[in-house]
Amino acid sequence: MSARVAVVVFPGTNSEDETLRALFAVGLDGELVHWSQPERLGRFDAFVLPGGFAYEDRIRAGAVAAHDAVMDPVIDAAQAGKFVLGICNGAQILAEAGLVPGTGPLRRPTAAFAPNASGRFQSVHVHVKLAVPPERVPLLAGIEADAVIPAWASHGDGRLAAPTEELARIGRDGHLAFVYCDRDGNEVPAPNGAALNAAALVNGAGNVLAIMPHPERDGWTYQHLDASRDAARGDTRATLAPSGGIRLFEHFARAVCGGVPA
Amino acid sequence: MSSTRTFAVTLTIPDNEAFTAYETLGRLGVQAARVVRADIWQFEVDESSGDLASTVASIETIHNPNKHRLAERESDRPAPGEVWIASRDETPATVVAGRAIAGVRAIRRRTAWRLLDDSGRDVAPADLDRAVETFLCNPAFQVAITV
Repeated sequence: MSARVAVVVFPGTNSEDETLRALFAVGLDGELVHWSQPERLGRFDAFVLPGGFAYEDRIRAGAVAAHDAVMDPVIDAAQAGKFVLGICNGAQILAEAGLVPGTGPLRRPTAAFAPNASGRFQSVHVHVKLAVPPERVPLLAGIEADAVIPAWASHGDGRLAAPTEELARIGRDGHLAFVYCDRDGNEVPAPNGAALNAAALVNGAGNVLAIMPHPERDGWTYQHLDASRDAARGDTRATLAPSGGIRLFEHFARAVCGGVPA
Repeated sequence: MSSTRTFAVTLTIPDNEAFTAYETLGRLGVQAARVVRADIWQFEVDESSGDLASTVASIETIHNPNKHRLAERESDRPAPGEVWIASRDETPATVVAGRAIAGVRAIRRRTAWRLLDDSGRDVAPADLDRAVETFLCNPAFQVAITV
């Protein structure tokens, strides 16, 4: 039996199909669930909040969605220990919902993915490196220490911002899940000016991960910017093979399926 | 010698963002009959800024006459009953829409919110405070400014 994963779609979400495709590629039974169907969410094993611009980013990116009724069962599930992955706009929603870093009351954010330091929308290819011990992130079961994942950072509001004492807590207590790095894993300044060069935050239990760059947009060989794409040229199977950013979903699948009978 | 000139830009067409705020605040139990939003543009100017109001009115990024109303404020602080939301670590801009404005040294942008009751009066300060705390302001990177 494959684990069932809900991909929660808000008005303005735009990355649900590629997210669903990534889930299928790693053997998960993904399903789109629209914001108007919160009653459907009770039967899922895990949840993904994909990228986009929920509610047009009105008021603040992620703010309206975080208070949407469809988030009630997602929050309940997260608190019950189920896995919740937020990508880009999904990460912003998780921060506004207070699920990451998870150091304050629900829906009272203590950190934010705020407007980029440049003041502009940016779309750049990046690598991110696991910045905590693997055991801090059960949501990515089996991920190796210092794992480097390629992705596309594509956002206008991806700069981690928080008061100084909260940033210290994020670093000290292991909430800084991924940092920006080069392909060799050397930490580099965040392209959006994020504090701590943060690319992703994780909650205290390690079952909620909010990652700003899109691993699903560099999840197939033809999407890579390195030599692997050229090497696969002419070989349809190799060109269309899941690779690169799909690794993050493989670890997610391992985590989700760990609690599901085979 | 510099001074600050403040302009408020409001929509003359339905404000979907304000309506979304109204809906969300209602879900949070903050009662208001109407939510009013404005973009606040503040210009730190020197004496050579000339006819700034006309210049601002001609920049469509700020003011599109087909859908916006532009009004200069006398005060550079929020009006009673109003809250301004600003970025805590804001770096003032020096250009808008890629264009420098003669005599303008810095440009700051805020979002103004007012909550009105059935009779069109401002809601109680405690209700506005609750709206700010629960929704309108993320204190991780924003600050709420009142009179």
